[in-house]
Amino acid sequence: MTGPMLLLPIFLPVAIALIAILIPSRVRYVREGISVLGSVVLLYFGYAFFTIKDLTWKVSWLGNGMDFDLRLYHFSAFILLGLAGFLFLITLYSTVKMKNVPRVREYYAYVFLTAAFANGATLSNNFVPLIFFWEGLLLTLYGLITIGGKDSNRTAVKSFILGGFCDFSMILGVAILWKITGTLTLSEISVKPEGLAAVSFILMVIGAIGKAGAMPFHTWIPDAAIDAPVSVMAFIPAALEKLLGIYFLARITLDFFQLEKNSTLAIVLMTIGAATIVLAVFMALIQKDFKRLLSYHAVSQVGYMILGIGTAVPIGIAGGIFHMINHAMYKCGLFLSSGSVEHRCGTTELKKLGGMRQEMPLTAFGFAVCALAISGVWPLNGFVSKEMVFHGAVETGYIVFAIAAWVGAILTFASFLKAGHSVFLGPRSQDVPAVKESESPVLIPILTLAGLCILFGVYNKLPLKGFIEPILEGHVEAGEHLDFSSHALALFNPIALISVGCLVIALLLHLYGWRKAGQKAYLASEPVHKFPVIKQIYDLAERRIFDIYEQGVRFLKWLSGVLFKLIDRPIDAVYEKGVTAVGRAFTGLLQAAHTGHYANYLAWSIGGLLAVAGIISLLLR
Amino acid sequence: MSTELIVLLTIFIPVIGSFTIPIAGRISKSARSVWSLLLGGATAALPLFLIPFALTGGQVIFRRPLALGLDFALIIDPLSIFMSIVSSFVGFLIILYSLGYIAHEDNQNEYYLMVVLFIGSMMGLVYSSNLIFMYLFWEIIAISCWRLIGFYRVKEYVLKADKAFLVTFFGAVVMLLGFVQIYGNTQSFDLMDMRGTLIPGSAVLLILFGMFSKSATVPLHTWLPDAGVAPTTVTALLHAAVLVKIGVYAYARIFLFTFDIPPGWKEAIPWIAVASSLVAAAAATVETDFKRILAYSTVSQIGYIFLGFSVATPDGISGSLLFILMHGLAKAGLFLCAGVVIHATHKRDIREMGGLIKTMPLTAVSFLVCAFSVIGIPPFGGFFSKFLVIVGTVKAGAIWVAAVALFTAVLTMFYLLKVFSQVFLGEAKAAAHEGTRSMVFVVTLLAVLSLAAGILVAYPMKLAEVATAGISWWLK
Repeated sequence: MTGPMLLLPIFLPVAIALIAILIPSRVRYVREGISVLGSVVLLYFGYAFFTIKDLTWKVSWLGNGMDFDLRLYHFSAFILLGLAGFLFLITLYSTVKMKNVPRVREYYAYVFLTAAFANGATLSNNFVPLIFFWEGLLLTLYGLITIGGKDSNRTAVKSFILGGFCDFSMILGVAILWKITGTLTLSEISVKPEGLAAVSFILMVIGAIGKAGAMPFHTWIPDAAIDAPVSVMAFIPAALEKLLGIYFLARITLDFFQLEKNSTLAIVLMTIGAATIVLAVFMALIQKDFKRLLSYHAVSQVGYMILGIGTAVPIGIAGGIFHMINHAMYKCGLFLSSGSVEHRCGTTELKKLGGMRQEMPLTAFGFAVCALAISGVWPLNGFVSKEMVFHGAVETGYIVFAIAAWVGAILTFASFLKAGHSVFLGPRSQDVPAVKESESPVLIPILTLAGLCILFGVYNKLPLKGFIEPILEGHVEAGEHLDFSSHALALFNPIALISVGCLVIALLLHLYGWRKAGQKAYLASEPVHKFPVIKQIYDLAERRIFDIYEQGVRFLKWLSGVLFKLIDRPIDAVYEKGVTAVGRAFTGLLQAAHTGHYANYLAWSIGGLLAVAGIISLLLR
Repeated sequence: MSTELIVLLTIFIPVIGSFTIPIAGRISKSARSVWSLLLGGATAALPLFLIPFALTGGQVIFRRPLALGLDFALIIDPLSIFMSIVSSFVGFLIILYSLGYIAHEDNQNEYYLMVVLFIGSMMGLVYSSNLIFMYLFWEIIAISCWRLIGFYRVKEYVLKADKAFLVTFFGAVVMLLGFVQIYGNTQSFDLMDMRGTLIPGSAVLLILFGMFSKSATVPLHTWLPDAGVAPTTVTALLHAAVLVKIGVYAYARIFLFTFDIPPGWKEAIPWIAVASSLVAAAAATVETDFKRILAYSTVSQIGYIFLGFSVATPDGISGSLLFILMHGLAKAGLFLCAGVVIHATHKRDIREMGGLIKTMPLTAVSFLVCAFSVIGIPPFGGFFSKFLVIVGTVKAGAIWVAAVALFTAVLTMFYLLKVFSQVFLGEAKAAAHEGTRSMVFVVTLLAVLSLAAGILVAYPMKLAEVATAGISWWLK
């Protein structure tokens, strides 16, 4: 393969997007056929690129160092492969789930444009194309959310503005980095995050974690869970944005800046990670809608990735990156299974569902595997990557971060027990008529992802050796061991035992809540919800007091009002009132001077003459 | 054709030709339309022939001595060629759109005369290499602008036209004082004689009055939102193609290409620019009148153009030049979309509109595309210009200024998406139909061009880079 082949992952999806929008809505099979086939081709090339791992292509673009520079290497090839895999599964799923959507042509176009932008951002080796593709994702996300429903525009705007804020921060960070290093080429940059570079680091981290959906930039995700199509949720916030955001975060901390263990910036990152884990999972626990519950977990789990990378120790970083791919798989699977339930039952409200395991056994199985994986149950993939993050956190010596991660683990399992119990177990709900299991294009993606969750857990050597460890090569001190797979499934060490203990606590918590609520599973979280102090905080959160977007919009409106009233209007008043008043006074004065009396004019003339003579004599002197 | 001849034709075809429009109007309505379109088309087409010359980075001075030691001097370089292409092209599209929009109004002879004269004087100003001739064309523009803003002869509207005229005229006269002060130092009005001269801070202040009043920068900006009483085509012309770009062009020509300004001003002007940008964006957020919002948005975007020029880094200057192009396309698109909406609904308050995407989908999508370009979202053209201005500002060391500029961009995002949501989405509040064919064609074309200018950005960028190299004498 040659360099220009790198354009294929960018331009092929663009071409498919154009075809999808040009084909009339009624010609369904052609559009779906081309889309699925195109995603298969992309998946094949994703695999082919992964086997090559070394390819570059560069042309001049804007001049002055702003080149269109693409680089395939181990890390970007891994992300590319992951993106192609998710694109294929989502496209397949959409053939059934999205077939009756009114704006289906736009849907496919946006999905493939999203893939094009994401692939471009992954391959970019220059910050200008990187930002070009990265920020372009705002557009397609906006479009995809608006496909959802009547009130989806509000959420779409919210995602756009929050994302835009993060992207603009990143632009400022990149500009500062360019000023410091004098280059825009990603592979050439490596500085210590000190002084101005630290500012750049923080701004770029905002861009990365904003894309990944960490707190406090996450608030559009739970809203989108209700408003956007579920396949969009499974594709973008669950999978694609995690891959991109964490990929970029890892690049920032490993490549562009040399983040050191327990430096101030590392602690800032770990704090963001830990806070995201705990706060988001508390919100997830009390949700009463299946999709909304999942969406808060999509936020909470980012915390583990950020925490892992923030530890700046090899096992933590590897754990963070491994958690990224694991999370993308099980969270995508979870959203798709919630979509499968919605597809058949017409609702995702936990209250209305129940006992669906009989009629939808395969969906229930897929959900169960993914839910156990996200909860970190042995021997699934979530267990391995979470253990690595725990180890990393303990290794930094700041036990508080490990404790936060364990609290997250308790509540994650508790909320999935609640969700699974409410939807699939218990007595059959009376609110939903008899249903059938979903069609195979819906089930195949769910079961594939569930299978991968088992594979990556039991046979974790494959991803760790094949994907993760090579990323860290050259970033660890000489002599430090880089083999994480040997003890990955070990249960008998203090850290793993604490984790298992957390799962037991979660189970007890769920059973207690379930009993207390009269065996209604969807109310199992009420003891936590109603707990003093916590209840008040929940109430504030429900009123969106902590929503950075709501508060930000209020601030923008306030600031605009102030600037308008204190600067713009007074300036206008000077022209409208001041200037006219002065003009009127001046003409009034002249009018008063012109009385019509001969003597008066004579006096003016003599006065003028004297003045002219005076000036002339002054000048002549 | 020689380069000089092309430029002379570019200036004098519209300037002289405009006075023949009333004659064509005597013949028939359609003769006048065709003739105006031809004049505009010729003005737009001629500078295109200069592109190969511009790309070589060449520079030609055309000079004819006149009385009183004044020379009629033209400067033909990448900067003037770039500017004339953008202005005349957007101007031409607006004439095309006018055919549908203005068809049922009175005083069309005057309208087309003034529009073509307006574009012609812009060409004259752009190519002038003499401060006095610059001033001359500057004031011709002010006069035609005055007539056009007061096109609907309502008393209140005429007052707004007077306001616009008085503010810009006041600024221009103060600027003339600055020119005179410079003449006192250098004994010349010819730009080519004075390149690299350090001018006193007082002259900078006097000249800035002229530029800021014409380019509607805080605190000399409030006439521009008020000028929204004009027909939408005129507002589009003022905002996108001609009027407000004069001040920024003059900045590039006078303060970058020609003179050196005191270091204090070099630090102060970026702050003034970004403050203007922020205040105007705030006003746009508060306003509810469709055209006033867009007008404030222009004031806000002009701040970015001033910012890029004033930091005087190569990226900043190229960015601002691109900005002139991208903003011209996108803002013309936004105003003309607003025109379609106002034409159909007879309303101007966005709170009274809604759901129009159902009946006018092309206009709605074009509006959204142009809005994205103004916000600075890839792959649309506005992304590159805003990005370069920000990068240029940071490279000049003004990181806080860049941060405020990016904050303003967030505000821009907020109010433009709000306008889109209120006007085109939600419940339909009034029946409306899509605009005439020429109107919809032009808005769609502008949206497509905003996209094309982003995807094919390398081409305008090349011209902008050559122009930047020609401007930056201090780097040579």
